[in-house]
Amino acid sequence: MLNIIKIEWLKVKYYRTFWIFLGLAVLIIPAVNAIVQDVNSRIPKQIQQALGRSIYDFPIVWQTVAYVSSFTTVIFGFLLLTLVTNEFSFKTHRQHVIDGWERRELVLSKLFWVVAFSVIALLVSALTAAYFGAVYGKESFSLEGFRFLFYYFLQVMLSLCLALLLGVLVKRTGLAIVLYLAYVMVLEQLVVMTLKRFVGDIGGLMPLQTADELLPLPVVDKLVPLAGPLDTYVYLTALLAYIGLSLWWVFHKMLRTDL
Amino acid sequence: MSIILSLNSISKRYGAIQALGGVSFSIPEGSVFGILGPNGSGKTTLLGIVTDVLKADSGSFTLFGQAPSAVQRQKIGTLLETPNFYHYLSARNNLKVVAAIKRQSEADIPRVLDLVGLAARQHSAFKTYSLGMKQRLAIAAALLGDPQVLILDEPTNGLDPEGIAEIRTLIRTLATQGKTIIMASHLLDEVEKVCTHVAILRKGELLSSGPVNTVMAREDFIEIGSADVQALTRLIQQHPAFEKVLPNGNNLLHVTFNHAIDPAALNTWCAEQGVWLSHLQIRRKSLETAFLELTNN
Repeated sequence: MLNIIKIEWLKVKYYRTFWIFLGLAVLIIPAVNAIVQDVNSRIPKQIQQALGRSIYDFPIVWQTVAYVSSFTTVIFGFLLLTLVTNEFSFKTHRQHVIDGWERRELVLSKLFWVVAFSVIALLVSALTAAYFGAVYGKESFSLEGFRFLFYYFLQVMLSLCLALLLGVLVKRTGLAIVLYLAYVMVLEQLVVMTLKRFVGDIGGLMPLQTADELLPLPVVDKLVPLAGPLDTYVYLTALLAYIGLSLWWVFHKMLRTDL
Repeated sequence: MSIILSLNSISKRYGAIQALGGVSFSIPEGSVFGILGPNGSGKTTLLGIVTDVLKADSGSFTLFGQAPSAVQRQKIGTLLETPNFYHYLSARNNLKVVAAIKRQSEADIPRVLDLVGLAARQHSAFKTYSLGMKQRLAIAAALLGDPQVLILDEPTNGLDPEGIAEIRTLIRTLATQGKTIIMASHLLDEVEKVCTHVAILRKGELLSSGPVNTVMAREDFIEIGSADVQALTRLIQQHPAFEKVLPNGNNLLHVTFNHAIDPAALNTWCAEQGVWLSHLQIRRKSLETAFLELTNN
């Protein structure tokens, strides 16, 4: 695995697009949170008092930042799609196997980025939450509620696994990015909406929706019941199952078909 | 002499097209083995299966006498179809990636860049390279780590005449070092100049394989001409050693005899029969003629 990481490093070390995308994906997390904090600070004091604690008080700040950060995950998705589809565009996926990689190493090399980006997103969001909690909150530091950041970590993992699958199936950079954006922003929401209206709570079990159900808006939280209609473990199990299923599909495709 | 690659009934189908139909042959160590065939005959498909980028529908093969594996591919220098590199990386950095995959030392990179004449442009991005330079880089990548076996698919693609001559010299030099070179080509001239063995494919079927001179028998023939070609044609068939007239597009006759003929004696014989030769030359049947005879039958 260390050799795979070394090879991936050689590929991105001098790849300007990678560093621009990564910088953007990392900076956007504190930036969007800062914007939300600014908007929140303009809410009249009476309303804030009516809601009880500030959304930047510990332990709610973990949930607040996890919820806000989850909207920026798509940038990591673009970055991963670029790395995956580059291999197909340059046909380097073929060359790596010709030169002596096992086919599974092709998948592992990109799985490394899925994990790396997820960890980076988790760390940046955790630091952002700690900072906002310390500066804008009134309560003392507490790790209670940190599980929301873990849910966010899983949300990034799942989004990236879906991006990996899409990249492997579609292969073309532009088309893959457009399809990914369409799915994340519109298509899944449409299916969730339709299912919830006509079928029921099962609509909450669509892939990305499982993470959304685990990361509810913290303020609304005070006004409506905390958990989604189904038990937290149901959403967690479904989310992990989607990660497993997408990885199985990626391995299945890459190990068996012509490259 | 051991066998480097042994193919056993390899078949591959793309939808309705049978790309390879039960192909079997073996490649001995130290040979320069040409895989010959027209475009679409299955050469690249065959090499794709050997390098694990394509999956055979049926059949099997061994590399170095063992079941194929990734570690064995690391010991083979392969150029398959197009040069595949990261467009945004320099030649040197692209070779670092290849060296890491092949688990070879980066210390060999300057040597191979020098061999293919790219040392001066090693820091330029791959996307700025001409087609010929890209091909040279792919050859450099195949030579990394000085592998004992090379698989080269159309190695002179995109090269200028000077580059083609250089690569041929390089292949001959590598062959004299005892390396096994497996080369797919549709350029017969190329094969004629460097190969010791050939396998001939047509529409996915193996027509023949073995040493070049056995597979494509190329007897000498005599090229003759005279003012009256028809009279010469009638006359030559009466020669005691006459065998056949080979097909030929121009006004000269290509004639084979059942034993070696002295040109001076032939000239005298024709003159004695009243036909004066205006052209007389001993020639060897070209590989192209032999190949066309073989693939058209």
